[in-house]
Amino acid sequence: MRAEQPSLSSVAAERLIGEGLVVLALVAWWASARELPEFILPGPIAVARRLAELFVTPDFLWNLYASTWRVLVSIALALLIGGGLAFLAHDVPWLETVVDQRIKPVLNSFPSIGWAILAAIWFEPGDFSVIFVEVAILIPFCLINIAEGLRNADADLMEMGWSFTRSRARMLWRLRLPLLVPYGLSATRIAYGIAWKIALVAELLGAPSGLGYLMLRAQTAADSTTFLATCFAIVLIFMAGERLVIVPIERRFAQR
Amino acid sequence: MTASDIALNRTVPRSGRAARRWAGHLFTLAFLGAWEAASLVAPSYLLPDPGQVAVRLWSFVTSERDLGHLGASLFHVGAAIAISFVIGTLLAFIPYYVPVLRFAIERRIGPFLNAFSAIGWTLLAITWFGVTPLTVIFTISAVLIPFALVNMSAGLASIDRELVEMAESFTRLRARMLVLVIVPSLYPFIFATLRIMFGVAWKVTLTAELFGGNSGLGYMINLARQEFDTATIFAAIILIIAFVHGVDQFVLAPLQANVSRQYAG
Repeated sequence: MRAEQPSLSSVAAERLIGEGLVVLALVAWWASARELPEFILPGPIAVARRLAELFVTPDFLWNLYASTWRVLVSIALALLIGGGLAFLAHDVPWLETVVDQRIKPVLNSFPSIGWAILAAIWFEPGDFSVIFVEVAILIPFCLINIAEGLRNADADLMEMGWSFTRSRARMLWRLRLPLLVPYGLSATRIAYGIAWKIALVAELLGAPSGLGYLMLRAQTAADSTTFLATCFAIVLIFMAGERLVIVPIERRFAQR
Repeated sequence: MTASDIALNRTVPRSGRAARRWAGHLFTLAFLGAWEAASLVAPSYLLPDPGQVAVRLWSFVTSERDLGHLGASLFHVGAAIAISFVIGTLLAFIPYYVPVLRFAIERRIGPFLNAFSAIGWTLLAITWFGVTPLTVIFTISAVLIPFALVNMSAGLASIDRELVEMAESFTRLRARMLVLVIVPSLYPFIFATLRIMFGVAWKVTLTAELFGGNSGLGYMINLARQEFDTATIFAAIILIIAFVHGVDQFVLAPLQANVSRQYAG
């Protein structure tokens, strides 16, 4: 029904329309910002200039660093804890109900702001409080993905593995973990997205630093230019992390 | 030994079901016990005891004002899911019918919406719309649109081309094609999408209500937080967990299973 092989000109047209849309959006933004006061909608040029300024401001870079390492530590911890729970449910039969019907549904339906408020009540504002909230939000996503991987592990392959070794550690290292890699990667990818988009809420209530804190401070001070610039900085960092770290890792493991 | 090990693993699901159910109940009891014990040590504004929370939960479900907040949250979630599902699906359909726009939607609009943080939308909406239900609905919709877009695109990509070709030999009416072939093949994806959106919506709603709402459970939690009324916070959280899990397990999951059985070949 449609041309199977897109011609060169249609690819160029697609590209042109895509970039044209971005330009159009920027022009529309610029035009509507001219009519509105700056604290409601600053113009794209002002925001772009602030964005460039932010990346050379030590204060911003420090907050960026704080958020980034919290996100990375949280993802690692969530993978460990979520993966550990998935293994428990899979390998210790009588714990399956405990994990699948008690821990998982509760963590999965727990509102993220609930964690943020509880952490704000329980802990001093700081790294620990933020990481606690982010880990709590990310665990169910890791748990669900890794449990899916364990369930889908090829039974025949496992049986073959048992015929070669009796060592559980060796089985785990040589067979089970490699089989889990794609699921672990998809868990990491999802957790990475959720961490930047939703888990930053932890920094609104429980942190004296970080990008979430910076956004709230700018918004309270009605400094919409800085606020929007921070939003775009997060978009850029998110995309950079995905392109430069997550996609190459996925490609590397997909090739094997 | 290895063979019997495997055999053992395979038979357990049938024989150990009762034991596992007991393990689940025991875990619940142990958790409540640990909570009770911890609440004896900690002051009640840090950790209210389970009884206190249960009482608050009861007064919650009998109070018209509190149920009103629950209703407001439900309204926010429902409206946002409806809006974002329609927008996300339309965005997914555009490249299907106008292939030249594929790059614009899949490489420009999609990733941008996907990368923009929920807090960004919330605070932005507060500056634009003030503290109103509109702010809350706008925020949740903005967060949900990429989920709808990605899932519905996956659905459209999976439509059987030969089925479409066959249908085209019967009719040239695009509307008829859409209603009789394309939408029915999308049913499993529609339900999967709605289920994911429902889960994510609740994660974002309370945040949006806390900062930008004048009603809803998030607003209520915020008031409770300012008054150090931790029992209310716990009651609201428990209510949400029960509600979200209940709807997911007893409404959405059976519906989805039913639809998948019927439509997915």
